[in-house]
Amino acid sequence: MLKYNFKYEWLLLIRNRWIQVLTILLFILFGFAAYNGTQKVKMRTSNLTSAINELQIKEREILSQLDSLEAGHELNISRWMMPTNPVVTGNLLPRVVNMPPKSTAFISTGQSDLFAHYVQPIVTGEDSTMNFKEMTSPTQLLFGSFDLTFVIVYLLPLLIIAFSFNILASERERGSLKLLASQPINIRVWVLQKLGLRFFWLVMVIIITLSLVFIIFDFDIKTNWMSFITLLSIIIAYTLFWFVLAFATNIWIRSSAKNAITLIGFWILFVLLSPTLINQISNTLYPIPSRTLMLNEMRSIKSEAIKKQDEILDNFLRNHPEYATNDSKQARGFYQKYMATQQLIQDELKPLLSEFESQINNQHKLVNASSWFSPALIVQNSLNQIAGTSTGDYQNFKRQSIIFSKEWRNFFKPMLFKGEKFKKSDYKNLPEFRYRYASVNTYSKTFWLIIISSLILFLVLTPNKHQIELIS
Amino acid sequence: MILNTLKKESKELFREGRIRIAFIFVITLTITAVFISAWHYKDINEEYVFAKQSEREIWDNQGEKNPHSAAHYGTYAFKPKYPLALIDQGVDKYTGTSIFLEAHKRNEAQFDEASDQTGLARFGNLTPDFVLMFIIPLLIILIAYNSLTKEKEMGTITLLNSQGAIGFKLIFGKWLAIFLPLFVLLFVLFTVSGIILSSLPDFGIFSWLSLAILFLTYVVYYAIFINLVLIISGLVKKSGIALVLSLSFWILVCLILPKTASNIAEYKHPYPTKQEFAANITKDKKEGLDGHNPWSEASKALAKQVLKEYGVDSLSQLPFNYDGYRMQKGEEHEAEIYFKHYKKLKIQHSNQSRIYRQLASISPFLPTRFLSMSIANTDYTTHWHFADAAENYRIETQKFLNEHFAKESKYGDWSWKANADFWKQLPKFNYKPPTLSEILKRNTGNILILLCWLLGSFAVLFLTTKSLKNVKV
Repeated sequence: MLKYNFKYEWLLLIRNRWIQVLTILLFILFGFAAYNGTQKVKMRTSNLTSAINELQIKEREILSQLDSLEAGHELNISRWMMPTNPVVTGNLLPRVVNMPPKSTAFISTGQSDLFAHYVQPIVTGEDSTMNFKEMTSPTQLLFGSFDLTFVIVYLLPLLIIAFSFNILASERERGSLKLLASQPINIRVWVLQKLGLRFFWLVMVIIITLSLVFIIFDFDIKTNWMSFITLLSIIIAYTLFWFVLAFATNIWIRSSAKNAITLIGFWILFVLLSPTLINQISNTLYPIPSRTLMLNEMRSIKSEAIKKQDEILDNFLRNHPEYATNDSKQARGFYQKYMATQQLIQDELKPLLSEFESQINNQHKLVNASSWFSPALIVQNSLNQIAGTSTGDYQNFKRQSIIFSKEWRNFFKPMLFKGEKFKKSDYKNLPEFRYRYASVNTYSKTFWLIIISSLILFLVLTPNKHQIELIS
Repeated sequence: MILNTLKKESKELFREGRIRIAFIFVITLTITAVFISAWHYKDINEEYVFAKQSEREIWDNQGEKNPHSAAHYGTYAFKPKYPLALIDQGVDKYTGTSIFLEAHKRNEAQFDEASDQTGLARFGNLTPDFVLMFIIPLLIILIAYNSLTKEKEMGTITLLNSQGAIGFKLIFGKWLAIFLPLFVLLFVLFTVSGIILSSLPDFGIFSWLSLAILFLTYVVYYAIFINLVLIISGLVKKSGIALVLSLSFWILVCLILPKTASNIAEYKHPYPTKQEFAANITKDKKEGLDGHNPWSEASKALAKQVLKEYGVDSLSQLPFNYDGYRMQKGEEHEAEIYFKHYKKLKIQHSNQSRIYRQLASISPFLPTRFLSMSIANTDYTTHWHFADAAENYRIETQKFLNEHFAKESKYGDWSWKANADFWKQLPKFNYKPPTLSEILKRNTGNILILLCWLLGSFAVLFLTTKSLKNVKV
């Protein structure tokens, strides 16, 4: 029976052009989405390259200035801009602290349109107000982007629904179900076989079109086969989930229109509503403290601190003997006072800032925990992770950048307080930044999707309804 | 005929379980959304009032200080939340709420909600505009998809035909049966929101007229949707297919086209990155007059010119402190540079808006979305309006400080300090958002497109169902 089913279902799907339509449709959707994704990645890479080039030009300029100064020449530069001043050089030649795109970045826009991919922390900068937001039109952020993730999370389930909502009901409505019932096969098994075959063919179509699109857009499958396999397995698990849902609806609900409504109801619930609801709940349970109020607090701390700059510097030197020199005329200029005050402000702000951190982390934990309820969310998160554009990746970048920013500042600080000059020979010792992506693990999520699907399948297949009920 | 159809259809709709459940669901969702938004709105508003006041206090109580130190110390402009944001949050989540106003520099607004939240925030919040823009059109599809197909499936269309039923009257009756309950729902929602808003303290610029026009916008949006779903229902034979087609239309119009528009807008008219934008400004600044740098070419030229103008030999003989004067000139020059670069950005913004408008002709969602955000003062253009106002205030503040410095102190005396009472004389920052008539004028394009959609869809509906013989069986 399975053999016949397989053969005739295939013939049917080919003859009523399902396969052809699906292939073309998926190819167009995947293709357009991948095109948009690669455009974004291209822009990201070229922005990064031009920033690095710009820095190199500036580097050459400053180094030649240092050369001349060390050779004893006079330069026509204002006192404020002397590159021998460590703070000046630290501010003029900030590293391009960047997050290069993964080769899979085009799969998902994720948070990449919201956050910046490089920052240039300077010595006198403040870590707490370092701006990691990219300059994007907010309208664009509101609408989001047509990427592969969108096609997979939003559109693929709808294609599955259109492909499977009336398997049983249409037979019933056409009257051919009675004929079928006279055959020696369990209706449930028959529907399962029919849907199973459709699932199989859809997966084939997905694999072929997706591979084709990836090859067209120059994705190196050979070296990145692991991410490609991970991507495919999560898509297949998601497809399986929707097919199982369609199977359950086919068995439990009678008319095709009602089937369609039920499945679309599931779609609205999983794709449209559950993310919104979870987001709302996490915001309500763990509200992010007001940034406006934080600003106020920061201003008060600052205004107090500025009034007592001299005192602060004294205290600072007392607490940091490594910076103090025996020279009674230790430099106590603008930058020394500024840096000491800045340090104090940052220390005082720490509890306030950690409150933000912990609330955001709490939100993340809640969202991660509750995302298990919505397959759409699981897939969205996994794809973002594979692409390296998830919130976690940007938080990671933020953390690494702030650590680097401290390292950068600490490189120049001793020179500043000891009154040393920045020399050309110091240049090669400048700290360098290299972003490290966190390792991706989406297997548990894929596995979970398969478990949910199996559970539903088990529930439907448990014979609590008689064959007769299904037919009538 | 119209009245009878209306009665029959309404009864039928409300007897059907799925419609009742859907209505209850939408109403619950709406109430939750309004409640959450009102709460959020109240919080933000309180913070805004507090922050504004305390920032001003910090400014007023700086004590004795050099005016230019005060200029560097700076102050903040806070963006108020507008009452109609209760209904449409627009892009508020993605725009910053405070702008730091300091000497020599125009800053971007900082601290938007979206960057502080998880990736989920990108799916949208449970706000009234989410229900109004996405969920209610789905409700319309659910109510109306089989409005005509059921007559075909049950064969009643032949009966109606034999009775001599006039197509468009029947359709109009059905149309009203779908429209009226939604109209009532919308009316109640807007009235309740209006009452909540006018009862909140500090509701400031809330106007019932804006609310009414917002209401009208949504009424038109839903009318268009009803027309389109009825057209589909008239053209196909099976209810299931009508449902799938209507839904595909919804996805195309509400999800795919806006996203596509945003992709096209981005790669046709990209914004520079934040760092690139800043680097370009720095480059321009380097070549011009820097108030802090008396040694540059531009500074020397300025000094020469001033000496000549006043007929004196040295800067200390001038009737004012030349340091303050140079600071002010430098400030004006820098403001021009910012103006130039922000103008470029604005051109990109208006180019992008043009693309959205072009695509609006194939998606009624887009003009509605833009019109609604504009009326609620939560669109990007309003944000620009605020940022420009803050920049103007910054320029005025700098002028106020530099002029005081130039007038009261002597050349070269950087240790001079202004009186502790002086800071209170700085006028307060009072931002007025664009008025309703300005908003409507700016949105003429969107209004026209929306009206075209309304009239066009009515015309097509009328033509395809003028006589029941045209309705395909």
